[in-house]
Amino acid sequence: MPSEMNRLHSFSAVAMALQRGVTGLSMPFFFVMILSSLFDFVDVGWTFVLAPIGFVAGVGYGLAYYYRFTYAITDDTFDVTSGVFSQRSREIPYGRIQNVDVARGVLQRVLGLAVVSIETAGGGETEATLRFVSEAEANRLQRDIRRRTAAVKQRRREADSAEAGAGTATDTGTDSDPSPGSSPARADDTTAAASEPGQTPSADRTREETQYADSRRKQLFALEPRELLLYSLSSFRPAAGAGLLFLFAVASDPILDYLIAVAQPFGGPAALESGSVGSYGILTLVSMINAIAVTYVLNAGYTFIAYYDFQLGRADEDFVYERGLFQRYSGSVPADKIQAVTITDNPLQRLLGYAGLWVETAGYGPESSGGSQSAVPLADTSRIRRFAENLTGVEPPQFRRPPTLARRRYLVRYAIVAAVIVAIAFGLAQVSALERWYVAAIVFAAVPPAAHLKYVHLGYFVGEDHLVIRTGFWKRRTTVIPYYRIQTVSTRRSIFQRRLGLASVAVDTASSRTFSWGTPTIYDIDLEDARRVHDRSRENLQVALRDRARDDLGLSVDFT
Amino acid sequence: MESLHPRIRLLWIARSALAAVLLAVALVALEQWLPALLPVDFAVPPAAMAAGVAVAFGLGIIYAVRLYQVWQFELQDDALYLERGVVTFVETAVPFVRVQHVDTQFGPVERVLGLSSVVVYTAGSRNADVRIPGLTPDRARSLQNTLRELAVESEAEDAV
Repeated sequence: MPSEMNRLHSFSAVAMALQRGVTGLSMPFFFVMILSSLFDFVDVGWTFVLAPIGFVAGVGYGLAYYYRFTYAITDDTFDVTSGVFSQRSREIPYGRIQNVDVARGVLQRVLGLAVVSIETAGGGETEATLRFVSEAEANRLQRDIRRRTAAVKQRRREADSAEAGAGTATDTGTDSDPSPGSSPARADDTTAAASEPGQTPSADRTREETQYADSRRKQLFALEPRELLLYSLSSFRPAAGAGLLFLFAVASDPILDYLIAVAQPFGGPAALESGSVGSYGILTLVSMINAIAVTYVLNAGYTFIAYYDFQLGRADEDFVYERGLFQRYSGSVPADKIQAVTITDNPLQRLLGYAGLWVETAGYGPESSGGSQSAVPLADTSRIRRFAENLTGVEPPQFRRPPTLARRRYLVRYAIVAAVIVAIAFGLAQVSALERWYVAAIVFAAVPPAAHLKYVHLGYFVGEDHLVIRTGFWKRRTTVIPYYRIQTVSTRRSIFQRRLGLASVAVDTASSRTFSWGTPTIYDIDLEDARRVHDRSRENLQVALRDRARDDLGLSVDFT
Repeated sequence: MESLHPRIRLLWIARSALAAVLLAVALVALEQWLPALLPVDFAVPPAAMAAGVAVAFGLGIIYAVRLYQVWQFELQDDALYLERGVVTFVETAVPFVRVQHVDTQFGPVERVLGLSSVVVYTAGSRNADVRIPGLTPDRARSLQNTLRELAVESEAEDAV
């Protein structure tokens, strides 16, 4: 089928031309400034000539970029060609696409535009970004790509069953294959076509289309206002601290004045220049409390805006989500690309009986969260647990805990941290007017509870088809890893662990979440148990792969 | 279990010698500049410094020898299995199905020593890619070929 080439929305031409124009305008400006300070013969006046030239060149480049940027949906791939001076064309096979995201900013929503990004597993950046297509086009793309991805999968599955039916014939078939290894997909296509005699490709397509029209998008979960509020107030992200720094950088003087004014009633200094050691201490304390409070408010506000009207639905075998108050994000995650499922909760959420559910993929999303998406930001713990069980098919986990020996390790570890804190206080007392440094020894009181809390929240469960790993007190994460998603298994023993006969087992998946969350690891279990988990994981991976080759047991999309 | 080529110890010792030189430079620089920055008397006899660097280098040699003793790998039924690590001992299994591609590499020092490395890439965390250093170029090539064949043989339909 001849593919039809598409251009971006014409507004993109204006945006690109302006953007490049401004770049073209500012570049001569900066260069002339720098050069005129270095060389005498360069005159600042040159900017008035060069800047307009730069602007025109930039606008020309932007327009050229717009006209040279095309994309097309073909039978097997999504194609993007771009580049003004050197053309780059990229073909993304549907089978490799991890997720398709659509983002709409405030201005873009007013203009009826959207940004579509397409993620695959490879590389650290988005595979293709269509900056500004019309909203209708964005929806069409999302739907079309999803449908074609599903079709590829369907074809593959049919080919597999055909192969399984052929039985012994496949062995000889692969041996005589002229190009082994690289062409299973192509071979699949031919067998699929052969297995459906009498059906022309076009007839196939119309059948798919009607099928798609029938399977309307179905809602799985919607975040209720109460849950949204709870989520905003009970989630803490350190990134909000960056917002605080930004605020401070923008308006440092009024903030300093405010902090001094607030601290004064408690015994803070009257001005920044005049004050005693004690009053500075109070100022620091009050400022810290203020900073924490403001960070909390910023964080709550951000979460509220980002997750406003969160909705999760399914369309065929994909999850589709939508969220955001001003900037509306929507995206789709193919269920069979999910690497692991994680339940998160913090102490406050545990106290209230709530938790969140995340699905992890290998893609890279528009946010730093990578390909993982919040499937359910916050819901009742029992509901979340049921979702996770329905989604992955894991049995209710009976967690095993590391031996109490592990707790002793944490006790020692935290005692060392406490000793370092006391040492720092001692050091400060030597060089400053700080008195009673030994009061810092109070941190030792926190050591036993901290070690105990870390210990009790550790757990692991070796299930029939899944490994479940739980760690963390402040941000507890319970990760469900299907055996067939395991990439590598490592047993690690530090010198301290070796002395105690303990080991940690790290189970790596392709989830891009491992960058920020770390590789899922079962910490400090008996070496024997570690070996057993290691071996079982390996065996079960092989078993699961064989089973999957027979019948496609994936994740169940209807998990609610 | 297969061990690495003994010459890899030379490479690791050379590496720790380089680290020792850097340490010596850093110590000398510290002694030169620290008194200017802080009103602290920081006078260390050159002999003590030399001793410190020598001890660091000695530890580096012991580390290299120990690492060589510990480093082992094996091609098992379903996976490439490796054991390594002096401070933290790590046993890793890389199932053949999960091998994305296999490289052989060698740097300038490795080339001088007549050694080569095999790097096995998986779709897992990018920093966890597995490297087997200290192989003869022939062994590296044959290992690469074997791994590639095994990976193709056990290819899964949907690795990621």
